[in-house]
This record gives sequence, C-alpha cells and structure tokens, in this order.
Amino acid sequence: MKRPLARVAVAAAALLAAAGAIAQADDFPSRPVQLMVAYPPGGSTDVGARVVAAIAEKILGKPMVVVNKAGAGGQVGWTDMARQRPDGYFIGYVNLPATNTVVLDPERKAIFGIDAFVPIINQVLDPGLVWVRADSPYKTLKDLVDAAKKAPNTIRTATTGILSDDHLAILMLEEAAPGAVFRIVHLEGGAAQLKEIMGGHVDVAFDNVGSVAPRVRSGELRGLAVMDPQRSKFVPDVPTTKEAGYPSVISNSTRGIAAPKGTPQPVLKKLEAALRKAMEDPEHVQKMDAAGLALKIMVGEEYARYYRETHAQAKKYTEWAKNRPHK
Amino acid sequence: MILPNRRAELVVLACLCALFGFMTVTAFGYSLRDALGPGAGFFPFWLGTLGMVLSLALFVQSWRGRAIGEGTQALLPRGEGARRVAALVAGLVVVSLLLQPLGFRLAMLVFTAGLLLALGVRRPVLIAIFALASSFGLFHVFYYWLQVPLPIGVLGI
Amino acid sequence: MLQHLVSGFAAALTPAYLAYALVGCTLGTLIGVLPGLGPAAGTAILIPLTFKLDPTGAIIMLSAIYYGAMYGGTITSVLINVPGEAASVITCIDGHQMARQGRAGTALGIAAIGSFVGGMVATIALVLVAPPLARLALSFGPPEFFALMLFGLCLVSGLAGRSMLAALLMTVLGLLLAMIGIDPVRGAPRFAFDIPDLYDGIGFIAVVMGLFGISEILLAAEAPVGEVVRARLSSLLPSREEWRRSVGAILRGTGIGFALGLIPGIGAIVPTFMAYIAEKRLSKTPERFGKGAIEGVAAPESANNAYANAAMIPFLTLGIPSSPTIAVLMGAFIINGITPGPFLFQERPDLVWTVIASFFIGNVILLALNLPLVGLWAKLLHLPFPYLCAGVLLFCVVGAYSLQQSIFDVWVMIAFGIIGYVFRKLDLPLAPLVLGLILGPAIEKSMRTSLEMSAGDYSIFFTRPLCLGLLIAAAAVLAGAALKLAPSVLREPQL
Repeated sequence: MKRPLARVAVAAAALLAAAGAIAQADDFPSRPVQLMVAYPPGGSTDVGARVVAAIAEKILGKPMVVVNKAGAGGQVGWTDMARQRPDGYFIGYVNLPATNTVVLDPERKAIFGIDAFVPIINQVLDPGLVWVRADSPYKTLKDLVDAAKKAPNTIRTATTGILSDDHLAILMLEEAAPGAVFRIVHLEGGAAQLKEIMGGHVDVAFDNVGSVAPRVRSGELRGLAVMDPQRSKFVPDVPTTKEAGYPSVISNSTRGIAAPKGTPQPVLKKLEAALRKAMEDPEHVQKMDAAGLALKIMVGEEYARYYRETHAQAKKYTEWAKNRPHK
Repeated sequence: MILPNRRAELVVLACLCALFGFMTVTAFGYSLRDALGPGAGFFPFWLGTLGMVLSLALFVQSWRGRAIGEGTQALLPRGEGARRVAALVAGLVVVSLLLQPLGFRLAMLVFTAGLLLALGVRRPVLIAIFALASSFGLFHVFYYWLQVPLPIGVLGI
Repeated sequence: MLQHLVSGFAAALTPAYLAYALVGCTLGTLIGVLPGLGPAAGTAILIPLTFKLDPTGAIIMLSAIYYGAMYGGTITSVLINVPGEAASVITCIDGHQMARQGRAGTALGIAAIGSFVGGMVATIALVLVAPPLARLALSFGPPEFFALMLFGLCLVSGLAGRSMLAALLMTVLGLLLAMIGIDPVRGAPRFAFDIPDLYDGIGFIAVVMGLFGISEILLAAEAPVGEVVRARLSSLLPSREEWRRSVGAILRGTGIGFALGLIPGIGAIVPTFMAYIAEKRLSKTPERFGKGAIEGVAAPESANNAYANAAMIPFLTLGIPSSPTIAVLMGAFIINGITPGPFLFQERPDLVWTVIASFFIGNVILLALNLPLVGLWAKLLHLPFPYLCAGVLLFCVVGAYSLQQSIFDVWVMIAFGIIGYVFRKLDLPLAPLVLGLILGPAIEKSMRTSLEMSAGDYSIFFTRPLCLGLLIAAAAVLAGAALKLAPSVLREPQL
C-alpha cells in the first residue's frame, strides 16, 4: 500500500468515526433500539417490556424491539448486555435483586460487576407476597412462623429460583423470627409454584404480588402477607408484614431499564425522557394495572441510590444463603 | 468382510473416550455429594465413567472386526463429492465469521453467490438474482416483519 | 354445557373471528416453517398485533398461531430434515426418508390428517372432561416427573438400531452434553470454562438443526449433483395398505399425546418420541422404521397436536401454563385483563366457550389450509440441488442466529452438523443423543427438587404410589433391554 494513500485512508476513517460519534447523539436513534429482557417471553418482566416498547417506539420514531435472552436466572442476558457497544442501541432490563445476587455469588462467576450498567429508569416495583392454597391450615403469617418454629425444616417453602428475591425474603423472615426454619424448595418461576402448590407438593410460596394478584383477590389462593410498608392495591385484604408483626421483612423485585456503562450522557437523557413519557402514558398505566404490576417510576439519583442500597442488602443475605446449614 | 470405516470408527471412539474421560475428571472437581444428595458433579462423574466404559467396549468390538453399522459408506468422500462437502463447510465457517463485520445482507450475499459457484452453477445472472433475493429478502422478513435484529455491519448495511 | 358450546360456535363463526383464526393459522404455520424462530418467540412477537383486537379476538388469533406453528415445523422436518422446533424432531426420522423416496406429499398429507385428528379429539375431550382430569394431572409432582423422565430414558432401547451399545453410548453423550451450563444444585456453571455463552448450556435447537439438517445437506452434497430425490414424485395419497397402518398409529398417538398434554411441564418432544417408540414396538415389522414407515410420521404428528391442544386444559381450567409458548399466551391473556383459572369458566363463559369453539374451527382451517399446499411443498424438493442447498443453508444460518441473536448458536449448529455427518457415516444413532439432551436436565432438576422437598430423604421416591409405579415400569423396560443386549455382547464376532 502506498504511504500517502494509507495515511489518507487512516485520516478518513478517523474523521468518519468522529463524525459518527457526534452524529449519534444528535440523530439518535437512527435505527431500531433493542430492549433486552433476561427472561423467557411471557413472564411479567417481558409483559411490561412489550407494553412500554410499543409506546416508546412511537415517541422515539424508530422501532424498539424486545429481545429475550433467557437463561441461568438472567445471567445470560446481563452478561450479553455488559458486552454490548455502549451506543444506546442496546439497552435492557435489570431485575433487582436478581442482578445483584448474580454478581455477588462467587460461584456464578459473573464476568460483570454491578457497575457494568448505568441505570436509566425503573418501571415496576413488585412487592414480595407470601401465599398458600385457600384450604391451607395457615391463616396468618404468624401461624406459619409458629409452625416453622415448632417443627423446624419441615414446611416446604417454594421460591422462584436460587438466590431470587423470594429466597432472600425467606432468610429475612428466619432472621426476624429466630427458631423458625423453612425447608426451602427452589422451583423455576411462578407457574411452577402454582402447579406444585395446587398439587399439594409444597406448602407455601414466596413470590411477588404481580404473579398471583388476581387469584388472591378471587379467593383461589390466600395471601398471608405483603412484604412492603404499605398494602398493595392489587391485594387490599392482605396484611403487610409490619401489621403481621415482622416489620423488618421488606422485600421486592424491581424491573428497571439500564444501559451498558459508557453510553454517552445525551443518549441516556434522550432514552430516559422517551421511556418516562411512555411509562406515564395512560395506555401503559392501564395495561400494567390490568396485569397487576405496580408502577414505580424512578429516575436519576433516586434510582441510583435505590440501586446501591439494594446491592448492599443483597450482599448480606447472599452470604447467609451460601452458609446456611440446611441449604 | 470389507470394513471401510473401521479406522474411522476406532478414531472416533477413541476421541469420545477421551472426551468422556476429560468430563469425568472435571466433574470430580465439582462436589460429588452435598447436604441434600447428589452434588453438582455426581451425575457427570458417573455418566462420564459409563461413557468411557461403553466407548471402550465398542472400540474392542470394532477392533475384533464387528462394525457398529453396515459400514457401507466411506467416511471421507472422494473427488467431486469431497470438494463439494469441503466447500459447504468452508462456506459456513466463513459466513459465520463475516456475519457481524459485514452485516447480514452482505455476508449472505457473498455466501450464497460463492456457494452456487462452488456447486457448479455457471449462470451469473441467475446467481446474482438468487443471491440478492435470498439475502436481502430474508433480511427484510426477519428484520422488519418479525422484528428479529440481524447484524448490520460496519458499512451500515 | 352443550348450549354454552353452541353459543360459543355461533360467536366464533362470525366473519371477524373466522378471519382472526385464519390469519393465526397462516402466521403460525409460517413461523413453524422458519427454523429457529420457535412458537414461543413467534407468538410473543405477534402479541402487539393483538393489542388492537378485543380480548376474545386476540386470544383466538394467538391460539391459532400456537397450534399452527406445530404443523409448520413438520414441513421443514419432512422436506429438508431440519426440525423447526423440538416437537418436530422425531418426524424427521421417517418423514424425511419418505421424502427422499419421492413421497414427501404423502408424508405431509398424513401428518396434516394425523394432526387434525389429534387436535379434534383433544378439543372434544377438553369440552367433556376438562376440570376433573386437570386436577388429576396435578398429582404429578417432582418425584413423579423424575420417574416419568427416567422411564422415557429407558425407552431409548426402542430407538436402537443394529447396535444397542451404540445407542447407549449416544444417550450417555446426550445426557452429558445437557449438563453443560448452570447446575440445578448450586446455581454455578458446569463445564462452561468461563465462556459466558455456555452458561446456559449449548442451545438445543441449534444442536438439533446441525445434527439433522446440516448433516443431511452435507451427505446430500456427496452424491452426484441432482440426485437428492431419486424417485419421481409419486402419488400424493397414501396407499390402502398405508392407510390401514396409519389408522392405528394416529389413534394411539392421539391417546399418548393427550394424556401427556394434561401434565404441565412435560414438553412437546416427550409425547412424540413415546408415540414413535410405541408404534415401533407394536409393529410386526419394526425394521421398516427409520426407512420411511408411514406410522413413523402419523404417530408423532397426532401426538404432537393432541398434546398441544390438551395442554390448553390445565391452562384454561387451572391457569397453569404447560410450556413456554403457553406461558406467552398467558401473558397475552393477562395484558388483556383476563386471568385463566377455575373462575374463568364461571366469570366469562362467553369468552371461554368462544375460544374453545374456535379451537375446533382452527383445526379444520389448518387442515384445509395445509392439505392442498402439500403438493406445492413437495415440489420444492425438485429444485436443482445448488439452489436448494444454498437456500437451506441460508435458512439454517438465519434460523440459528435468530434464536438468541448470537453467533455462538450458529457455530454450535455448524459444529454439530459436522459431528452429525461423521456419526451418520458410522451408523451411530442420533435419536438417542437428542433424547439424552432433552431428558438430562429434566431428570436432574426434578430429582434435585424432590430431594429439596424431602430434605434429602430418598424414600420420597418409593412412598408415593404413582412415582413408585413409574419406577417399576422403568426397571421393567431396562430389564427387557438388558436381556436383549446380553446375547449380542457375548456373541463371537465375525471375522
């Protein structure tokens, strides 16, 4: 290759790249944006994602495509997002505390840390819920705890996954009620819990309001407690853990959207504005309501702070989970 | 009895045996038991061991002259056939390498055209039409209609 | 109840709903034909389409997409040996052989008819016996699951060709490959060697597309160009002899598919291979299987559709989704403000019965849509080889990539294409490998969950009657296989 030609080529390439970077923020988005969900289609994160994407793409002017990258409890999807180019065309859901526990569990060998993502906006805050079949002998949370103290490690308690928010919540309850020990059974997802509880193979389930609200309201299932400072409007008859006597047991699962670290600020701001507008749209609010998912829009410093706090709390219980004698 | 595949069989069985051995050893590093029952390494360890035993048994059987199957096909084809198979495999490898840098449309265009040429088609117009239609056409179907994001390369295509 | 059904039909037969069912069946078949893009992803993609429709219409369309996709996967299995999704894998075995003998039309035709019968019977059963059966199926907990999957694994002896040892070897290989990824015990990756793409294991669809589809094309490329389908396209209809054999296969396949569809979480491939093995065992001439036996297509296809329709029973009556695709359907229900479950029949009988009526209609539409097109599909095989080859490979690459938008799946497919090519040359059977790959995780996970339920007490497997029964059945099958194996191992090898 001739020297002058090579130099011109390199200069041209550099100019193009620079121009590209500048152009990015101004005309973002110039092609479809991918919104990643780290769980299979049909789950509550996925449902929320599709609703918001359908509205946000009209605001942004380019399609927003929901992409499912399920596996390993979300690790596959977040690993992938951590490796994407931070140009704003690939963003995705982070599910706290699941994302936290993946990072914190040394055995998972996550290749990303919690700083690999820049939080943009939070969509849903789904409080934890303890529920049983309608004909179960446990009528209140206290019944359950007393039974767990009387016969430790016999009550089969289902989670939706190892180190999920449900798993950590069980440990929180054990901490708040010393002597109570639950026999923890890890299932895969809310549907599996439904199946096993209905079939009588497990006794109680820890999950979130959004998964079973309609059934609790209809009386098919009985909610023992909501792990939130206030009652949930979706299951108004279920007492909070505070009312039940265990105020320290606060657990929830949040679904928010984040971008890979290094995404330029102007692009982030544009995304935040568009997504926020989409989430405040009446159609979005109505659809999320119908699905039983409680909206809690958090942006900026509020979300960043929540992010950090959840991580610290998850750390404590993850370590406990790892060292628990009964596993 | 002619057993054209005997050497190939022995090689493949030996490789499988080695693979099983490797997995058995790795599994040993994961705990075999834990508080509740079989640990993470339990099943892989025993399955790997069983795999080694089975592949050794088949190896011995094959050595003593009894092939696994009818043994009617030669493992590696000759001549024309070999060239075609090699072309297909090479083409697949190349297109996978090029999918992200060149983007779906271009990579597939090159792949399709190259494949048709390698398989003996000598009608440039038909090749061009088919290659363009299939690469750009499939892209359109998947990207726009089905909303599946296919790679777009550095050239923006 | 009959009057509910009648009014349901009246509602479902309105032009709008008929149109939705038609569109759904068409889209579903097309999605099924496209390899890689499974019914779950395809259904999910089409959810926003249904935002504009009323809830009943939306559900009619999505359900039609669901069982339409089941049939679409059959088309590629028969024509190019590429299973579009898990349920179509078994159909490849005899279906593609039939295609190579010039009888692709017959294979597709019997598949359409078998699917129709399977779907109709399952829907009729849904109407008649849904709630009590569904409750019964709930008694299948993790220990029973474990026993059932183990039983399924023991049936692998039924898939063995000439060499039982080889079949066992392939099964073990499949089981081991399935263990790559996050383990159910500690949630830590096994055999992943720090490659994040392996954390969830090697993608099943990518493996199967390679093992069956790519290897088929590689094998075909060896023969002198132009001889892919040697025989001329003979009659599209089965002969009388074949009809006779198919009837039994269809009925048995329907029964098996239906029974297993009631149990949530089984997965579509289990009923298909059980139906196939049952046919092979019951046949007086089992050596025809694997070489183009029509029962080898009729049975799995009927089982497939019976399963898909039966899986709606636990979903509608109890609100429990049996498979990922149905979970997507449930998401669609929820977005439209409907919660499936026991109260649905009481609260919204109009909706439920209209949807059930549309299942009947949908099955008819599917048959009417696909049967005439069978001839057209079959003609595709007569494209000149280079074009067919390029087209299929293109298809497969885009299909593998679209699974998870990852190049890794394409590499997996290629690697297993080469492995499949080598194995087929050596007559190492592929079906047991696939079986091991599917059943491995299910067996390990359900065993683990069962032990969590019992806090480590193994007696849980022996104190539950259903579980114990299945374990005994598995042992019996194994004993039978061992008796068959012994003489072949001890026999003197010919020199």
